[in-house]
Amino acid sequence: MADKTYLSDIKEIRVDENSPLFDKTGMLYKEFNSDYRQIRYYTLLIVQSAPMEIKEINLLEQQISEVIKNAVKHGNRSNPAKKVRVWYSFDLDHAHLIVEDEGEGFKDLEKWNEFNRKRLECLANQDFEKLAEFVSFRTTKSDENDGGNALFAALEYWDGGFVFNSKRNAVAMLKKFPHKKH
Amino acid sequence: MELKIRKNGENYIIDVNGEMDLYNSYKLKELVMKMLEKKVERFIINLENVDYIDSSGIGALIYICSTIKKMNLKLIITNIHGSVKKVIELTKLMGYFPITNSIEEAIQQMEE
Repeated sequence: MADKTYLSDIKEIRVDENSPLFDKTGMLYKEFNSDYRQIRYYTLLIVQSAPMEIKEINLLEQQISEVIKNAVKHGNRSNPAKKVRVWYSFDLDHAHLIVEDEGEGFKDLEKWNEFNRKRLECLANQDFEKLAEFVSFRTTKSDENDGGNALFAALEYWDGGFVFNSKRNAVAMLKKFPHKKH
Repeated sequence: MELKIRKNGENYIIDVNGEMDLYNSYKLKELVMKMLEKKVERFIINLENVDYIDSSGIGALIYICSTIKKMNLKLIITNIHGSVKKVIELTKLMGYFPITNSIEEAIQQMEE
């Protein structure tokens, strides 16, 4: 039983076309060409509409930059003719984003979940020697500038969910900010 | 991002200034690889003046750390703070990286 409880606690990337996180009602929208050099600039254009209170220095910016980078680089292969579409909404309670690219979709999603499960097992066992094999997720298309760790942090950060559509070329995510009571 | 090297006994301290992002993190990796070629054996990476890191920056630190571990040489990363600390925590790598709170502590640990 203990093992089952442990496994149910493991976070994973889900595929759910019907997730309420894909509801775009009331969200702002921007689209960009897939220019790798502009990723941080695009991110700033989005994050500037977030209230200071939820920016947490620059953590929100950093996390948004990662998903835009994935869309530009891994989704659209930095092809400037292909667009990245971003829907977003921020307030003091939440940050909600949907990022869509024109690529063929995140084919290695199951492999990633399996890799992440092994990584979390190493961490649960405090096995830092074995963890060395699971610190960076690589595919045949990874290059030396890919850290291979962005989605590990994303799953932790986006605590309201991190969900792909069926085609796996769009990801919706939600971060909740609990109010401090005075 | 600017990188400066200073020497303290046998220890080489690399002061990183600026942002470790997708456009420049490779520079730190390249510098450490060059220093390894020159037979440097003790590295302290000082992140006191780094306020932004992304997955490429974390990737560079992982690469450096695993290379130095495999060669049985010494590395300590120090002065991690703010959102840099938060990103490393989110990635659950606080236990993987050899970390100290200050350069003094790092130097002390190098001697142990």
